Amino acid sequence: MEIREWIWIQPPHYTRRRGRGFWGKISLMDEPALIRDAQHGDLDAFNSLVLAYQDTVFNTALRILSDEDLAADASQEAFLSAFRALNSYRGGSFRAWLLRTVTNACYDELRRKKRRPTTPLEPDRDDGEEVESPRWLADPSASPEQQLEREELEHAIQHCLDALPADFRTVVVLADIQGLDYTEVARAARVPLGTIKSRLARARLRLRECLQAFRELLPAAFRLEKESGL
Amino acid sequence: MKTPTLRDIERLSAFLDGQLSRAEAARLESRVKTEPELAAALDDLRQARAVLRRTPQRRAPRNFTLTPKMAGIRPPVPRAAPVLSWASAVAMLFFVCTLGTNLLGRLSFGAAAPMMAAAPVGAGGGYGGGPADTNATQPPASLESALPGTATPEAPPYQAPEPTTTTPGMGGAEGYSTPAPETRAMPPETTGAKRAGPVNPWPYVWLGLAAVLIGSAMLVRWAGKRAFRRKASQKQKP
Repeated sequence: MEIREWIWIQPPHYTRRRGRGFWGKISLMDEPALIRDAQHGDLDAFNSLVLAYQDTVFNTALRILSDEDLAADASQEAFLSAFRALNSYRGGSFRAWLLRTVTNACYDELRRKKRRPTTPLEPDRDDGEEVESPRWLADPSASPEQQLEREELEHAIQHCLDALPADFRTVVVLADIQGLDYTEVARAARVPLGTIKSRLARARLRLRECLQAFRELLPAAFRLEKESGL
Repeated sequence: MKTPTLRDIERLSAFLDGQLSRAEAARLESRVKTEPELAAALDDLRQARAVLRRTPQRRAPRNFTLTPKMAGIRPPVPRAAPVLSWASAVAMLFFVCTLGTNLLGRLSFGAAAPMMAAAPVGAGGGYGGGPADTNATQPPASLESALPGTATPEAPPYQAPEPTTTTPGMGGAEGYSTPAPETRAMPPETTGAKRAGPVNPWPYVWLGLAAVLIGSAMLVRWAGKRAFRRKASQKQKP
């Protein structure tokens, strides 16, 4: 069922670090067949889907929750819920359906977090300062400059996302980071389409204002946009 | 300077995502060309969206694949399960049969019991012609016979033939009291014959069958679980 071959991968939102694409060995899976088998209780088929979508699900949870451990828990919970509710999937984008499940898991986690606030444990430097981007999260394939730039960009975006209300953040993450269309976002967030349009516009505006504070930290990202113009 | 309204911002955002109709998009584009504030707002929104799209994607810290235990999947039921599902019912039936035959057997033995129970306790143990304990307390017959002319002191009330006491002429050294042979010898033989009658084999047969059934059911279940575990562990290996 699973064929692996080398193909030229074009990411939906390319990054400067990766370039416009790369050669990679990916699994070409028959997604509808896997979903059908999983609906009949085939756990192996479902796990193939999990492996294909776990990065997407985890990143969505990470941007909404802003905590790696909570995001991992929410992702695991989302996959478990997805397996149990797989028979309710009636076609359409499976990715959007999964993101809807993880969004629900994130909302549950946020409610729990609100009830029992916790302090994240960050590793300390020798001088007692917290390290915000632990070294073990670093990508070993990137150069130190690229790694630093990536961390700064991620930190700036996450900081601005955290400043948004949870509802706005979810809409932005689903629409702009995960690339869902308005209908899919509306279905995932369970709000009307008009509300999605309104929230997305306001969230983008707030993010723009927030990211301006990081302009010095993110010169390349902003310079490129200025150069591209309309 | 005309600041764009929130409605304008929503329209610009939808325009960026291609969510406006052609007519609306054309109208907005003409406004953007004439209103620099609107153009600046559109530029801001586009930049924000572009930065968000560059958000670095992290790899999942671990695999989120589900195990059969997490998914709540039980080991598959063995093929013999439909047959063996009746094993407990059949075993129960055998048990009831065994119990029934045992009870019936006891009831049939119990028919003789009233006769035994009718005998007064103090009068002796059944047909023995005298209480067992009195035999123990009685002086030996040789001593009794040593006193010539004395009869046995306390004979059982229903012991019809008196035990004959022979008084030998040689001083009674060889004298002995002979109990009534028909009263002493016969009854133990008759009760013993009743108790050592033919053994009913059915309870043991039923019990054996039930044990074999339950044992085979447990064996099949264990083998099924073991095969399932082995298969699961093989799948988890890379």
